[in-house]
Amino acid sequence: MNGALDLDTPGSAPGPGRTDSAPGPGRTDSAPGPGRTDSAPGLDQRSRTSTGKEKRVTTHKGVGALVRLEVRRALRNKKFLFFSVIYPALLFLILAGGADSTSEVGDSGLSMPAFMMVSMASFGALTAVLMGNSERIAKERESGWVRQLRLTSLPGRGYVLAKTASAAVVSLPSIVVVFVTGAVVKDVRLDAWQWLALTGAIWAGSLCFAALGVAVGYCATGDAVRPVTMILYFALSLLGGLWMPTTTFPHWLQNLAEWLPTHAYAALGRAIELGDAPHARDIVLLVAYFLAFAGGAAWLYRKDTLKA
Amino acid sequence: MEHMTTTVNAAGAAAGTVTGSAGSAGSTGKSGSAVSFQQVSKAYGEVKAVDGLTLDLYPGETVALLGPNGAGKSSTLDLLLGLSRPDSGTVRVFGTSPRDAIAAGRLGAMLQSGGLMDEVTVRELVGLACELHPRPHRVHDVLAAAGITQIADRKVNKLSGGQEQRVRFAVATAGANDLIVLDEPTTGMDVTARQAFWATMREQTDQGRAVLFATHYLEEADAIADRVLVLHRGRLLADGTAAEIKTRAGARKVSFDLLDADTQEVAGPALEQRLRQLPCLSALTVSRGGSAAHNSGHTVRLQSTDADATVHALYGLGFYPRNLEVAGLGLEQAFVAITAAEEARTA
Repeated sequence: MNGALDLDTPGSAPGPGRTDSAPGPGRTDSAPGPGRTDSAPGLDQRSRTSTGKEKRVTTHKGVGALVRLEVRRALRNKKFLFFSVIYPALLFLILAGGADSTSEVGDSGLSMPAFMMVSMASFGALTAVLMGNSERIAKERESGWVRQLRLTSLPGRGYVLAKTASAAVVSLPSIVVVFVTGAVVKDVRLDAWQWLALTGAIWAGSLCFAALGVAVGYCATGDAVRPVTMILYFALSLLGGLWMPTTTFPHWLQNLAEWLPTHAYAALGRAIELGDAPHARDIVLLVAYFLAFAGGAAWLYRKDTLKA
Repeated sequence: MEHMTTTVNAAGAAAGTVTGSAGSAGSTGKSGSAVSFQQVSKAYGEVKAVDGLTLDLYPGETVALLGPNGAGKSSTLDLLLGLSRPDSGTVRVFGTSPRDAIAAGRLGAMLQSGGLMDEVTVRELVGLACELHPRPHRVHDVLAAAGITQIADRKVNKLSGGQEQRVRFAVATAGANDLIVLDEPTTGMDVTARQAFWATMREQTDQGRAVLFATHYLEEADAIADRVLVLHRGRLLADGTAAEIKTRAGARKVSFDLLDADTQEVAGPALEQRLRQLPCLSALTVSRGGSAAHNSGHTVRLQSTDADATVHALYGLGFYPRNLEVAGLGLEQAFVAITAAEEARTA
């Protein structure tokens, strides 16, 4: 996963003669512990000859450790949790509130609650991954934490991966909470496979916006990042039809909205609700956006790495 | 140094700069060196932050990096840590690239600009650092060594500046590094905390680790470093033990009074002219009056690279120095003298 790490061969670090092999009385190893491989020359040798393999293991362990800590941290952040987990479900109740389950939304073939349930689940996932990534990455770049992390064996991309993974961990409950609310309070009835497919599609689709979040986090700084994120967030949510059906928009805006990633994103779920497979057009559009966002994020990330 | 009106021997102060590494122009540096810079340059726009720097550091050394603001200390550390890439020249750490040395767990660093993760406890953060290290110590031991066991359950963003520095130190020493790089490590600490910090650091070096630290506190460099590097405008101006650097700057301060009654020249300039013939002189001031001279003579302050020879010659020139005092020069004064001499030379 990281080029810089993969290329090392066991012999690439020709251990320059360590001069600390004399264990002398001062060398009582006040901090022993199992991980202490630096004292005996023999141990040192072994750890060095197997660095290549060891490193890959610790790299994965390191990314895992960072993901775990990021998740724990995200779960501790009540404000973030509220906005990404509770807020979409609340908004769903409000927006679908008065509508009875028989009225159809436009020519979608879906009832208002069913229509809004997918919208809000998508919106919740979008909130978690876009907000979770952009603002935190920008903040941590500024505080110097990203710089400090670069002085660890963690591969650079491990940080982005951990951020995205922890955002995805928070986005899953936000999707589920909206679904439970839809089923219990708004009486939305779907087949088991539809619930599963919906969850999977909306969760997977959120990756597109996670990449966007990373890109924003690496391009905006300080005071700029919040407004930039907010503008993107509201524009994408509103124009993509996550808050209200785009059928209420003027015609030209409807045409524009059809090309937004959020529109394609919500359309995935709606197709599943109707018992169909998601439309190829929507998938292609989302993948294209994902590639564009991820490419942009990678480019900005590399630029930042060279500069920092 | 406010009296140092004249600086002699400026070129001499700068002459013996680069030691050791001049002849070893291999791309990977000398074998066995922990760090090897070969003709490394780095510019930011017009400014040459690092200018043709060549140096080697060896395992087990404790090296202080000194320099006035803007001398290129931070840029040098960034290059060493792989946080920036040189425009030309090579930087090797334990024979590999800085990034590979870090990935192998051989190089740990504590940066001034390095931040900490918010919203987690000290223990969680140090735990993460240990898990990220290929050759980790136990969390418990790292906390104890950094003296932060008592605050381990506090949130990182609720710490004082000194405590934060200790946490940074713990993060930098979470595993068995062979080289530890510290950028202004004791900034924000009070005197007691500073002493405790260096005691901790001493344990690390006693275990054979190399330590490179940049500092503003010259007494720290004087007391702790085996070797002192003085950077100035991205170049290595001096490289040696603190004692050697003091010698190079004019190791000894000599002061005495010359009474008019004992001297033929009563006029300051003529007197100064004659005093300038003294050997091993690196700085000289002559002022009228002075406490012991009772307004009937001059007070002379000078710096000498060899006080014995200078004082001996003083008598040889027919002077009769009264209230003669010879004292050692602090590293701080030596540092000021060396950089001021370089400023004067390049101005």
